Parts: sequence; structure tokens; C-alpha cells
Amino acid sequence: MSSGGRFRALRALLSDPMGALGLGLVLLFVVMALFAPWVAPADPIKLNVAEKFQPPSLAHLAGTDQLGRDLLSRIVYGARTALAIALTAVGLAGVGGLILGMIAGFGPRWLDAVLVLLFDSMSSLPMIMFALAVITIVGPGTGTLILVVVLVSIPAYARLIRAQTLALSGADFIVAERAMGASSARILFRHLLPNVVGPLLILLSMDVPVVIMLEAGLSYLNLGVRPPTPSWGNILYDGYTSIRAAPHMVVIAGLPLVLSTLGFTFLGEGLRDALDPRLRRRVAG
Amino acid sequence: MNWTTDRRGFLKRAGAGLASAVAAPNFAWAAEGDTLRIRMDADFQVLDPWGIIGGLDEVIPRCTQVSLVRMGDMRAGNNWELYAAEKLEWLDDTRLAFTLRDGLVWTGDFGPVTVADVKFSYERIAGSDSAWAYQFEKLKEVEVIDDRNGVIHLTEAFAPFVVIAMPYYGGHIVCKAAVEAAGGSYTTEIPAQCGPYLLDAWEQQQKVTLKANPGWTGEKPAFETVEIYIQADDQAAQLAYEADAFDYTRVAPSAVRQLKEAMPEGATLIEAESTRYVWLTINQNAEPLKDIRVRQAIQYAYDSDAVLQGAYDGLVGRSAGVVQPGTTYARAKNIIDTRDVGKAKALLAEAGAEGLTLNLVALTDSTSQTIAQIIQASLGEAGITVEIQPTEEAAYWALGDKTAGDDYLSLELVLQSFAGGVDPTENLVWFRPDQIGVYNWAFFDSAEYEELYQKSLTERDADKRRAMFNRMEDLMEESGSFVFICFEPLVAIHDSDLKPVILADGHPDPVRFARM
Repeated sequence: MSSGGRFRALRALLSDPMGALGLGLVLLFVVMALFAPWVAPADPIKLNVAEKFQPPSLAHLAGTDQLGRDLLSRIVYGARTALAIALTAVGLAGVGGLILGMIAGFGPRWLDAVLVLLFDSMSSLPMIMFALAVITIVGPGTGTLILVVVLVSIPAYARLIRAQTLALSGADFIVAERAMGASSARILFRHLLPNVVGPLLILLSMDVPVVIMLEAGLSYLNLGVRPPTPSWGNILYDGYTSIRAAPHMVVIAGLPLVLSTLGFTFLGEGLRDALDPRLRRRVAG
Repeated sequence: MNWTTDRRGFLKRAGAGLASAVAAPNFAWAAEGDTLRIRMDADFQVLDPWGIIGGLDEVIPRCTQVSLVRMGDMRAGNNWELYAAEKLEWLDDTRLAFTLRDGLVWTGDFGPVTVADVKFSYERIAGSDSAWAYQFEKLKEVEVIDDRNGVIHLTEAFAPFVVIAMPYYGGHIVCKAAVEAAGGSYTTEIPAQCGPYLLDAWEQQQKVTLKANPGWTGEKPAFETVEIYIQADDQAAQLAYEADAFDYTRVAPSAVRQLKEAMPEGATLIEAESTRYVWLTINQNAEPLKDIRVRQAIQYAYDSDAVLQGAYDGLVGRSAGVVQPGTTYARAKNIIDTRDVGKAKALLAEAGAEGLTLNLVALTDSTSQTIAQIIQASLGEAGITVEIQPTEEAAYWALGDKTAGDDYLSLELVLQSFAGGVDPTENLVWFRPDQIGVYNWAFFDSAEYEELYQKSLTERDADKRRAMFNRMEDLMEESGSFVFICFEPLVAIHDSDLKPVILADGHPDPVRFARM
């Protein structure tokens, strides 16, 4: 995509209210994550049991948890955990899916058949069951979570890229490149890659909240991020176990999950519309 | 119309309305009146008294089997009474004669309960690898006079035999013929039952149903059916109680304050001193913990006040051992009674163990996890990184079991709690050398401790026994392998028209629950 095209896409994204809202929410969480030590009002893991279950107040804007830790600070640092896991996992899966998908779509037929069989086999595993199996073998933790997401997500991304690559391989401009003697590497990286990466970015963006929810779900089950590292999932679990004493904890822990899911979903949809003008015209028309 | 409701009523009506709306044709609220619904926090694993682990494993045999004597409610002083025996008499210091009550009959055409069954039940556990072998350590043999009369012979005078060996756990009587026919032991299917209830149905991890035994000739229990629901989480159990799903449940100690402020209508709160003792095991066999200075550093770094306040709302004080505080035999205080982070750091430096990272295993319930996180933070202040490993009940109990692999060798820190007994020896028994790889997960191995334990069994002078028990707890603490945390309060909630019976181990005896 040319720089002019990129600006047009950005303008299209910002002109869509939902897309702009999504971008705003995502930027909010990114800023929270990047600048957590400056944004958070207190140490997120420092215990002060004398102040446990404090309701929201000026001293603790979101109250405190069962160990007297400042909830707002834990939410802010939880954004760092959630985004670090989600972006790392989705990014690695995206790169893996891109490489494998292009190999499957551009390589020899036998290799394509083997890779498609592998993708189909992986896709048939329910994500949560697969995650539980891997955690049982490897043990819980951040690294395990990322590994699970990467393994589970690669097939979906690879299939998308493979389909795009196959469709573009027969396009006139690729045939012309081949006729002019262009190497496979040139065709792959110069012509195919820029054209297949757009749909992948949309899919990656829409998968980020799925990973955030998976991390939160596994942490809620004590299978994800280990304490005392703040994670939205284990904050939610702490809130649930203390729901009678401090109902505000569940609400406060649930908010970032809801907002980040909305943000990334709106952003993904906005990107899709912005990067696919045909779709935008169809929706508008 | 005057609309008044309460939370429990609202939840019940809302639940009923929702259930009607989804039109489940076979839906019905659990019957009230002749059904007792109690909640336990974990499913059973082994019902054979030989291999009982605890909790529901023990509660079911209270219903389906009998024992020669049984204990009364812990809140009424743990007094024992005759049960399957109609007569019990010490002939001398080492001979205890008993007569079985008439009319006790096994299911499955195995005939009446006989003294041969008692002999089989006791002698198969005595001297075996069973965790309950200690109950019968002083048993020489059970002499069969006839079907209903027998004499228990002890190797030496041991008065606590009646309360240690006979009322529960290994003391449940099994049917010799049925167990032998089943291959000598059993797990989840009881080959023959003789108690007031029969095990009727088991929905794994959900519910156990017991029905009144039509062949039971003793005092008729108050309920035709007992339903035991499995709910691991105290918070969920409390909510379920408020939605009228249970008649009795234990709740988290941290719920006391809130419950006192807003008790559900028609409910009564039980707050009692329990015999359940909680401690931190520091495994001296684990490589990073072999140096006693490292173990002592943990003892110094532990923040007792934060644990008691954070996990128990200050309802209990710190324990000084495993003998119940407030009793004649309790130790007055811990040797390391005051937190000293500086001393902990110095010990670590001296041992060259700065930057130490340890694994802490704890059950997944909220109280255990809260304690674990406070320990993590307090040890963190001394420079020890603690990684918490929340572990489900079944996997947890296998961790220290030498028959389940080699993991028990390298466990590092474990948050543990045991239900105690009436006599201090029942609490101290688990830390004997022969319990390593069974329940002594600390690898605490003291010949002096064992010698004192043996002496305490037969010593009758209370002052001398106290001195022995106190010294045993000193040895435990001096080994650096234990941090004594507290005796948990027993907190439960039940219908006000229900009279629960709770035994010394903190678990209910459904047979004697009654409606008032």
C-alpha cells in the first residue's frame, strides 16, 4: 500500500465513529500499559492488609482488594500484562501464519497438502481444551499462555494467507512478473506480501481481545499468570471470591475486559472497512 | 398487598421462576423435611477405612458403617458414647472387653456384624502401611469370644485407645467376608454396609445421596435421605446456601463479619474453635532448603500478623504448634515469635542463598491463596522469591505421597492443614519419621521426637505429657521445617431449625443431625 493509500485508510478509519472509538480505547490501554509506572498511583503488589476491601475513595480511586492492594494500580499494570501477552502471542502467531500460509500457497502442491492437513488438525482442537492440556504438561505461566495462543492461532492465520496467496498467484500482474523472469523471492516479498498482509492485520486486531479474554479466563482458573503479577483475570477471580465483602472489585475488574474487547473489535471492524473499500461501498450502498 | 421478601427468598423464587420458564419437565426443588442437604468441599476418593484420606471419605462411612464407640459434638466437649458396642469394660490396663449390639446386619446377605468383623477391621490396619495404623499401634489382637463378645488386647496400657482408635477413621467396622470377597480392600464401592444409611447414588464431583437403611435397627435417623453436595468454593457454597440449595455448609472464616452484619433469614451461624491446624511446611530434603539457616530465614521472614488479619480477619491467634491452643497440653509460644526480616536476610547471606526462588504449593480455595500471597510478600521482603502453585485437592494430596512418584522428595514449601483429634498424639503423629512420604512432607526426622511420642502414649501424668508435647513442638520448630500458622476457626451456617453434630475433625455427622 502506498503512503497515500495508508493516509486514506487512516482518514477512513477516523471518519468512522466506531473505528475512532476503537482506536481511542486501544490507544488508552496501550498508554496505560507503556506508562504504567507513571500512571499507577501505587505499587500494585504491595500488601497492606490493614486496608483491605476499601471502597473507592480519594486515597484509592478504585478501592483496594482482599490484601489491601490498590485496585486501580493493579488494573493499570494488568493492562501491561494483558497487552504484553496478547500482542506477543498474536504477533508471533501472525508471523508464523504468514510464513506458513505463503509457503503453502506458493510452494509445491505436496507441501501445500501436508500443511493444510496440519492446519486442519490443529483447528479441530478446541482452544480451551488444548490450553488446559498444554498447561497440564508444561505448567501454568505467561510463557505457556503465549505458547498456547501461538499454536492455536497459527492455523487460522495460515489458512487466510494461503487462500490470499493462491488467489493472487494467478493474477495477471503476477503472471506478467513471472514472464519477465522475476524470482520467486521477488514475487513473494515484493508483490504477494504487501497484498496479503492487510486482511491478516484485520484478523490479528480482532483476535487480540480473544487472547485477552483467554488470558483472563485461564488466570481466573488459577492457570494463567501467577500471583502477585496483576492480571485482569486474577483480579476478577479475587473479586469473585470477595464478592460479598467488596462487590466493587468484580465491577472494576470487569470494566477493562469489556472496554478492551470493545476497543479492539471496533478497531478491527474499522480497519476492515478502511482497508477494503469494496466492502465499505457495499455497506454504504 | 404487602410485599416483603429477603435475599434468600428472592433467590429461591427467581430460581424457581427461571427453572419453570425453561420448562425442565423433571425439575423440582430438593425435597425439604425428610431430606438433609449438606455441603462438603471435595469429593470422596477412598471409602475403605484402611485408605480414607479425609473429608467426605470419612463422612460417608459415618453413615454406612458403624464403630464400637462414637464421639459427641466437638462443641460439647468431645465426649464419647457407645455405638455398635452395647457394653465396653476395661478388664485391666491392657484388656478391653466389649459386647456388640444385637441387630446390626450387613447388606448383601453377609449376615450380622460379628466380633470377627471387628477383629478383621482393626488387625488389617494395625502395623500396615495405612495412614491410620497409628490408631492401632498399641493393639496386640482382638480376641473373639463369640459372635457378639470380644476382648481387645493391647501391648501396653494405653487409655486413649477408646477415643483415638475406635470412634472413626480406621475404627469403622467393615465386613470381613465382603471385603475378602472384594480382594481385601475397596475404593468407591462399599462391598457391605451396616450403618443407618446406605450409599444410594454418586454423581462424581457433584453429589452423593444416602438413603435410610431399611435394615437398621438402631435409633432411627431424623432424615430419610441425606444429600451431600460437592462445592469446593466457600463463596459459591455461601451463595448456594442463601439460594436454599443446602441446609448446612461451612463458610470461609473471612465471611463471619459480613454474615454477622446481615444474617440470612432463618439461618444460624456456628463459630467454634476447630481442631484444624494450619502450618507452612519447609521441606528440609529439597536442595535449596537443606541448609537450616535458609529454613530459619523463612521462619524469621514470615509475617504472622498479616496472615491472621488478611486471611482470618483477626478471628484467631497464632498457634505455637499442632496441639490445640487453650488446652492443658498446648505450648505457650513459638521459639521464633517475632518477625525479624533483618535476621532473615543475614541468615540467607550467611548461607550464601541470596536471590533464592522457592515454589509454594497451596490449595486453590480463597483462604489458602490469600495466605500463600501474604507469605509470598513477606518472604519477598527478605529477598526470597516465592512462586505460588495453586493445586487442586486430588493432585495436592498426591504430592507428598511416596507411592505417587518422586515429587515428594523435592517439594519446597507447602501450605498444609490437618483436621486434628481429641488427644494431642493424634495431631503429633503425622510428623514421626515413619510418616515421611506419607503425611510428613517436611522430611522432619527426629529420633528424640519419636521417643517422646512413644512415651507420651502410655504416660498418664498430665504434667509429664505436657512437657513431652511441648518438647516435641520445640523440636519441630528447631528443625526449621515448620511455621505454625493457626488453628482455623470452624465457621458454618445452617438452618435455624436444624441441629447439626460436628465431630472433632470439623466434619459433620449427618446421622445425628436433627430438625428442632
